[in-house]
Amino acid sequence: MENYRIFDSELEKLSHKVIQMCSQVNQQLIDVIKAIKTSDIALARTVISNDEFINNLDVKIDKLCQKIFALQQPVASDLRYIISALKINNDLERIGDHAVNVAKRIEPLQDYKQLVEEFGIDVIGEKTTILFSDVVELVKTHDLTYAVKIMNKAEAIKEECEDIASRILGEMMHQSEVVVVAANILIINNLFERITSYSTNIAESISFVVNGEIVKHKKHN
Amino acid sequence: MIVDKIYTENMFLYYSGKMALNDISIKIPEKKVTAFIGPSGCGKSTFLRSLNRMNDLIDGVKIEGNVIIDNINIYDKNIDVVNLRKKVGMVFQKSNPFAKSIYENVAYGPKINGISDKKQLEEIVENALKNAAIWDEVKDRLGDSAMGLSGGQQQRLCIARTLAVNPEIVLMDEPASALDPLSTAKIEELIVQLKENYTIVIVTHNMQQAARISDNTAFFYLGELIEYDRTKKIFTNPDKKQTEDYITGRFG
Ligand SMILES: Nc1ncnc2c1ncn2[C@@H]1O[C@H](COP(=O)(O)OP(=O)(O)OP(=O)(O)O)[C@@H](O)[C@H]1O
Ligand SMILES: [Mg+2]
Repeated sequence: MENYRIFDSELEKLSHKVIQMCSQVNQQLIDVIKAIKTSDIALARTVISNDEFINNLDVKIDKLCQKIFALQQPVASDLRYIISALKINNDLERIGDHAVNVAKRIEPLQDYKQLVEEFGIDVIGEKTTILFSDVVELVKTHDLTYAVKIMNKAEAIKEECEDIASRILGEMMHQSEVVVVAANILIINNLFERITSYSTNIAESISFVVNGEIVKHKKHN
Repeated sequence: MIVDKIYTENMFLYYSGKMALNDISIKIPEKKVTAFIGPSGCGKSTFLRSLNRMNDLIDGVKIEGNVIIDNINIYDKNIDVVNLRKKVGMVFQKSNPFAKSIYENVAYGPKINGISDKKQLEEIVENALKNAAIWDEVKDRLGDSAMGLSGGQQQRLCIARTLAVNPEIVLMDEPASALDPLSTAKIEELIVQLKENYTIVIVTHNMQQAARISDNTAFFYLGELIEYDRTKKIFTNPDKKQTEDYITGRFG
């Protein structure tokens, strides 16, 4: 009953590119965390320059989706897949940008390693990266147990980010000499929080591909 | 409120003992467009024809179950089939105008229904041609032969001919399959307009057409109604794997 469709090779190509994009972004996150932990400015610069590759991939995926929409008029699960590929691509591109934004703030922090550790920015960054490795698996396998895991973990990470933020703000009020550094750390913390949100978006998109239900804006538990 | 104009209950149809429709139960709402889709030979045309008893004309056909239109079983013994077909009009895949004038093609039905007043006939013809969105193209040559019209115009003429007898339901069997994209677009636009006043049931092999113009879609396979739902649902997230495989072109 199964037919070969010209369409399938286009879908495979798309899926391949999305997974590639995921792996690239994953590597960026791994590197940026390593750069924070080891104050490796060279590595931070590599992260910044690698972003161009991700941006190119982003454009390629957008174009491929456009082409499939125009030429194949996808329906049902095909339609859901392509809509999601577009969204996921967008989310990945944003995560990539945020990895770069974090990387840009590593140099000014190199003399304040103690503060970074005190607020647990390296730890939250690590957790965000581990969360993202689940995103990679989810995108590869479409196994929704990863989606559930991601959504739950993300909630915890976001709460932690909020805690960190209020601790940083407290510190800023009491020790005016660290304000500039603390603000920098606050921004990084915020970027990890954003990356976590984008990871949740991706989990939602894959859930939509698999069962056609929009889980966005629903409370996860 | 949505009124079920047509509904069938446990309908079976056999051609010389061979089952072609297997236990079809469906409710078709009034003043909506309902599309029938499915692979060739799955029974779409057979089912469509059974809604105005066109299958009665075929030897060896046996029908079981109920086909109810406006709460009346159309297979009851005392049903007047001519009246039924007036109420339930049909448009075929290949336009089949008579080798007569455009005017005569449309006036034919009302005439055999006993309308003879010239003024009244002219009015009916004009309205039918307007409703079929072809009036502007033919109003200056009503006396010309219908055979001189293009395929797309002939098809709209046939729709006008169907509308001229004032039906409530219009059955269409692949009405645009032989037409170019522009004529197809005109027919589709027309169908969407017609649903204001008529209940439309359309068979189509064109998935995009079903998606564009219908409110509900029924997917048939091997004589069975596999899935029937709002068109939006069928084309975004069908429940059945067979439906999914068919509309995405994985089989058929
Ligand atoms: N007049 C007939 N006599 C005998 N068998 C028939 C007759 N008309 C149709 N059939 C059979 O009934 C089944 C359904 O045919 P039908 O024409 O309803 O299919 P369909 O879905 O309209 O196909 P298509 O998309 O090709 O028009 C087929 O197996 C066909 O061979
Ligand atoms: Mg047919």
